[in-house]
Amino acid sequence: MTNDNWQKPKHPKKKRSERLKFVCAGLLILAAVLYLLISGTLQGARYFITVRELLDDGSYVGRTVRISGAVDGESIDYDSEQAIIRFEIANIPSEYDDLATALHEALLDPAAPRLSVIVEDAAIPDLLQHEAQAILTGALRTDGVFAGTELLLKCPSRFEESTAPEGLSRIPEHQ
Amino acid sequence: MLAEIGLAALTLAFGLALYAIVASVVGARKAWSGLILSGRNAALLTFPALLLATGSLVGALMTEQYQLTYVYSVTDPQTPAIYRFTALWGSQKGSLLLWSLLMSCFTSAAIALNWRGERRLMPYAIATMMATLAFFLGLSLIVENPFERWWILPDAPAAEQVVSTALIPPGAIAPTEANLRAGAEGLNPLLRHFGMVIHPPMLYLGFVGFTIPFAFALSALASGDLSTGWIKATRRWSLIAWICLSIGLILGGRWAYDVLGWGGYWGWDPVENAAFLPWLVGTAFIHSVMIQEKRGMLKLWNMLLVIAAFSAVMFGTFATRSGVIESVHSFARSEVGFPMLAFWAAMTLVALATLLWRWRRGELRDERQFANLLSRESLFVLNNVIFIALFLAIFWGSFGLPITSELLLGKEVTIGAETFQFYVVPLFIAMYVLMGLAPLSAWGATSLRRLGTALKLPLALTVLSIVAIVISGTGIAVAVLGYGVALFAGYVALFEIYRGAAARRRSLGESWLRAARALFRRNQRRYGGYIVHLGVTVIGIGVIASTVFQTEVQHTLVRGEAISVRDYALRFDDFLRAQAVDGRMMNIAAVTVFRDGGEIARLRPRIDDYPQMPMKIAGAHSTLENDFYVLLMSGDRERATFRIYINPLVNLVWWGGILLLIGTAIAAYPKVVAAGPGRKPELEDL
Repeated sequence: MTNDNWQKPKHPKKKRSERLKFVCAGLLILAAVLYLLISGTLQGARYFITVRELLDDGSYVGRTVRISGAVDGESIDYDSEQAIIRFEIANIPSEYDDLATALHEALLDPAAPRLSVIVEDAAIPDLLQHEAQAILTGALRTDGVFAGTELLLKCPSRFEESTAPEGLSRIPEHQ
Repeated sequence: MLAEIGLAALTLAFGLALYAIVASVVGARKAWSGLILSGRNAALLTFPALLLATGSLVGALMTEQYQLTYVYSVTDPQTPAIYRFTALWGSQKGSLLLWSLLMSCFTSAAIALNWRGERRLMPYAIATMMATLAFFLGLSLIVENPFERWWILPDAPAAEQVVSTALIPPGAIAPTEANLRAGAEGLNPLLRHFGMVIHPPMLYLGFVGFTIPFAFALSALASGDLSTGWIKATRRWSLIAWICLSIGLILGGRWAYDVLGWGGYWGWDPVENAAFLPWLVGTAFIHSVMIQEKRGMLKLWNMLLVIAAFSAVMFGTFATRSGVIESVHSFARSEVGFPMLAFWAAMTLVALATLLWRWRRGELRDERQFANLLSRESLFVLNNVIFIALFLAIFWGSFGLPITSELLLGKEVTIGAETFQFYVVPLFIAMYVLMGLAPLSAWGATSLRRLGTALKLPLALTVLSIVAIVISGTGIAVAVLGYGVALFAGYVALFEIYRGAAARRRSLGESWLRAARALFRRNQRRYGGYIVHLGVTVIGIGVIASTVFQTEVQHTLVRGEAISVRDYALRFDDFLRAQAVDGRMMNIAAVTVFRDGGEIARLRPRIDDYPQMPMKIAGAHSTLENDFYVLLMSGDRERATFRIYINPLVNLVWWGGILLLIGTAIAAYPKVVAAGPGRKPELEDL
């Protein structure tokens, strides 16, 4: 595009009406974006809560929520013909210092609330294993089973940092 | 020995960076050119120092020095050589060191290329770049040291006998080689993919790249030199950063598609979004900076965008590396979180305060006013508004809503992928419409009639395409609308190239090829930009088709049995177990894929048993039209369960990405400035 058709506005009135157009266009866009954000948030927002909070508060039954828990590896059952995953998760507290430790302790703690989970029509994720952190979206059914519609698992890179391995301290006699 | 060399080089680089900050700022304030030069040299020396530090870590990885805790945690004796090398960015400590190396490399390049042309801006720019580098080096030295080693303290209580430290504790002895090799953990299997070989460094290059425009912008604000110098110094840096970030994002998507086994490439995860946010602001800046160059407008806005891009980079780095954001991709929870948050907030506040100060002094006044809503600059501004709206929507959904709800309600509220789609689909539609309209408009003012005339051909082609799409059986309104706006933007890009070439043919009698080549050579940024628009069009079509029309089924087959999915069929032929050279066992299904009755491919979807986890490796038959993508879920010699995805036009996402990269490379390629009297031909300054 060339600059040859560029013209300075000649009349202040015209300039004012152009400015008005800009203001109107700006307000329109702002209103549209705000509408998108507010209506989208109202429709799609769900609480991210712990297993304990879900089980303690009956009002959550049937409501879409997001929960997080430690996967009990022994409970994992995958019906590959029906594409149904079943497993149990143990409550992990909302605040913790080290995730790996929190997951490990949650599964050892007999007092930690546990929740049965079912996820239908799903490919079993590679990361679904003992002491993984499952982040589930779904709803608690009246039979006490959590029906997940979305299942995310934390990458093992979360557990990457080596803690002092016991094997390293074995000192052979010749050292 | 490598650990000692690496640690010494890292410490030296940190010292040099700190010295460069002080020397540059004091030199600039006191106008001592000797001190400024000394600061520059110190900044330049950080690169060889960090090259030595990084080389030491790579050397340790390649020569299996498992006493280094980093080497121990990301490799094992079975790790192939290529993944030993890429393990450099396989975890927090190594990738922070790589971040610093790239930062010092970009700083050295910026000094080398801009020292002569932008002398006044350089001291503060160097100070800003070195402040960023010093911060990351400080993290590497104090919080996430990659040169820590395992030591045994024989006299300590049993639980505290094994420690990892950078300096040798008194009385410590090293663990045995045999114990170290036996315990080494190996690289995360998910990271063993070609996408992961290039994706993280590209992402870091993109992140680091946006530091350079920020440094020049902050320098312009600090020094008061608010002429177009900082724009000239940074426009190509912005493009380089943008191209690297684009490659990083595309490869990240490809990695997710190939490795994560869910048939998709973008999950609206906070960490993915954190990398997308600077890209959106960077895209807005690349467009709006043209208005400042051509029309002397949007000075304040461009400053804000550069600050926002850097701020988004720092926030994204914090989000990914702190581990405080709930994401499937983030690094381990780390002590780097709070310092990063503090650095992000401090740099952003300093930049905004300086900007406000200059603005209140009236030093960022535009030279012209917007005169017409349909002018190209107005449409560019609207396009900027859309990018910023996308930025705000994605930021809100990923971070704003969870943080605000936690503060106000005491409970975290999140949204899912479907809500992100609700936010972004209308905004992307608006973006494509503006991508089509803006190139047809003129700088200054355009009448509706003139715009209408220019629109005729692209609009007619769009309508024809929509009719053809509907006739071919696509009945989903949102998909038809999406195809329509994406094609419209693409047709306009092609039309503009055609129009330019036709004008040259008419006036100069050149052939089509010669005319097109001359166009691209004479106005690289504009025509390179059109190739980028074409790439974005192709990506858009790929995303719509593969999202809206994806087919997904799961079925169990006995050996010899087949299943039909749309016009494809898959037959389960055999199942075998084999051992790979690195020792992992592979469970492999042999399947044959048919289309319309004819055999088209034999695939081997498999499950690899790594010590850390099993990993499904998809078998895929790719054509431009469809990806037939099959995962082995479980199986034995007699029965196997497969999950099959048919992803229409998904390969357009990758091909569009390549087109986008070619266009950006054309736009960013330095022009050769013609020889003048007493002057040799040379490359235009970056």
